[in-house]
Amino acid sequence: MTIQQIADKVRSGGRVDAEQALRLYREAPTPLLGQLADQIRARKHPEGIVTYIIDRNVNYTNVCVARCAFCAFYRPVGSSEGYVLGFDELFRKIDETIAVGGVQLLLQGGHNPDLPIEWYEDLFKAIKARYPEFRLHALSPPEVIHLSRLSQQPVSAVLDRLIAAGMDSVPGGGAEILVDRVRKLLHCYGKASADEWLDVMRQAHRKGLRTTATMMYGTVETEEERIEHLMRLRSLQDETGGFTAFIAWSYQPEHTELAGQEATGVDYLRTLALSRIVLDNFPSLQASWVTQGGKVGQLSLAYGANDMGSVMIEENVVRAAGASYCMDEVEIVRNIEDAGFIAKRRNMHYEVLGDPIFREREVPRMLELAKARDEGDDSVPAELLNYPARSRAGKALRVVQS
Amino acid sequence: MTVTDAELDTLSTSHDIIAIGAAADDERRRRHGARTTFVRVADVDAAPGAPTATPASAGEIRIVGTPLTREAAIARVREVVAAAGNTPVSAFSLADLERIAAAEQVPLRTFLEELKLAGLELVAQAPFDQLRDARLAIEEVNIAGLGLARLTIDKLPTADVPALYRQIAALQHDTGVIKTFAPLPRSVNPAVPTTGYDDVRRIALARLFITNIPSIQVDWSLYGPKLAQVALTVGADDLDSVSPIDEVPEGRRRAPLEEIRRNIAAAALEPVERDGRFDAR
Repeated sequence: MTIQQIADKVRSGGRVDAEQALRLYREAPTPLLGQLADQIRARKHPEGIVTYIIDRNVNYTNVCVARCAFCAFYRPVGSSEGYVLGFDELFRKIDETIAVGGVQLLLQGGHNPDLPIEWYEDLFKAIKARYPEFRLHALSPPEVIHLSRLSQQPVSAVLDRLIAAGMDSVPGGGAEILVDRVRKLLHCYGKASADEWLDVMRQAHRKGLRTTATMMYGTVETEEERIEHLMRLRSLQDETGGFTAFIAWSYQPEHTELAGQEATGVDYLRTLALSRIVLDNFPSLQASWVTQGGKVGQLSLAYGANDMGSVMIEENVVRAAGASYCMDEVEIVRNIEDAGFIAKRRNMHYEVLGDPIFREREVPRMLELAKARDEGDDSVPAELLNYPARSRAGKALRVVQS
Repeated sequence: MTVTDAELDTLSTSHDIIAIGAAADDERRRRHGARTTFVRVADVDAAPGAPTATPASAGEIRIVGTPLTREAAIARVREVVAAAGNTPVSAFSLADLERIAAAEQVPLRTFLEELKLAGLELVAQAPFDQLRDARLAIEEVNIAGLGLARLTIDKLPTADVPALYRQIAALQHDTGVIKTFAPLPRSVNPAVPTTGYDDVRRIALARLFITNIPSIQVDWSLYGPKLAQVALTVGADDLDSVSPIDEVPEGRRRAPLEEIRRNIAAAALEPVERDGRFDAR
């Protein structure tokens, strides 16, 4: 098939296979990819609405045994820079989030061996007791697998316990590239193989949870492997229909062990557009302004995205790797409307909640994303004493605490 | 492709950014093919006696900032030219030179000729919206034997884009010496930055409508790699203000030269380094 024939197929609602997707990615002019992606977006969202969510991206701990080569955020067990947020700190963050109209926490963290599943259950229950309407978009598949291994319970049982405690949905983090050759090179095969990641999502979907899916590209994967990632997501979505949205972002190399270069802005737009074309069964695609900046983030709306993601309020992981963009609700809405769309707030299920909150009441402007903790704050939450540590460093810390 | 006034008005309010960008890219490729030029610029301060680093990797040494007096401007040009060797030296904003000449009650041409005599090759920028009389000032640059590195816009124009671009096309029609136009504003309110759509539209419309200026330029350091690279796909063909520093802690593959080549190539374009004289290096 020629590029034109593949393009015609996409225009008429046809599904591309891996070979056709690869040809589009390699050979199609960028404007053509954009036009095809935009046509699909318009078919799926003919009302011209672009959504966003007000939530807070909280990383409850940076202590991690996974040691992925692309991560600048984690600290090894025993590091003086390691932290665990206390329940009270998390409550304060939720209060701040609610104050600016936020509806959920995106809660993810390192694979900390000293936080047993009971810590998560108690945290979720405590949050739900204080904030019954507040949503927990929590724990990516590798974290669920980590808890499965720690607790020696199957993933299904771990999910049941977390759902019972208050988990509302599962974020799609930790997918990186769902090809084991790549995962081994990135030192993230151990935290979850491609099949394991997909299986957590499959089980979550079967239990009625909605989840997102992500792709971190631009490390060591080939173009074929990038396509394979998309194909595997599309296949699972055909099976379960549980994914609400897909988010692609480029690897951020600063301060990472892997280092190297970041993929370019044009590559991001081409990858996003191709994702919209391949993932024809995904309702929503998010723009990753947090890695691309506001300008390319806004241009994403012309390349297939129908969602500007999260106001975030706080971000730690990408910032650690060198990206430090910030967009508050005012700025997100300005960018959506400047691109000719209607801006609406949503929840994690992509249900529209209403118009921009700052048009209903005064909301303080946010010119910088918050961090997990203030500089120099090395406090240890008192409630950690209630949970047995597994690591030697963790045990020693508990002794000091007591 | 020639865009009529009526088409320019329509395009300037369109949200179909891909169609506008594609049309501008066609026009840019008709003129330049895949050739994409960039210049590595070493900035030095305008104050006489300030440090003067002139790395051999730079294709242009640029004196930035506002000189306090005519005498200080001339003295600084002499200093920098002496240190620059064969590398072309550009300096100052034409608006500042206009202002100083007026304050010291000397004709602008006289001042420009003095700078030329001191060894200056190029006026670094002519900010269209800050010049008292753009046509006259640019003609004086030419008569004085100087080149103009670029025509710029300092602040977001109060006039709409079509009106502005009509004025700029007319300016070039009258002067004929403008080689590059950088349509993105150099001073932006950080609380309300321009959007990606704004920037793409301004670049694309500049390429489509201002047919008598050869190059459309984006400032690499001011607008950053991501937007600058996208700009190359919607009508821009020249990148200004690339750092001349080759040694960075992350290694040579992360150095500006490699980064810019990689970005240009990743946009399916061909990188060509030029110097301040617009000659390939």
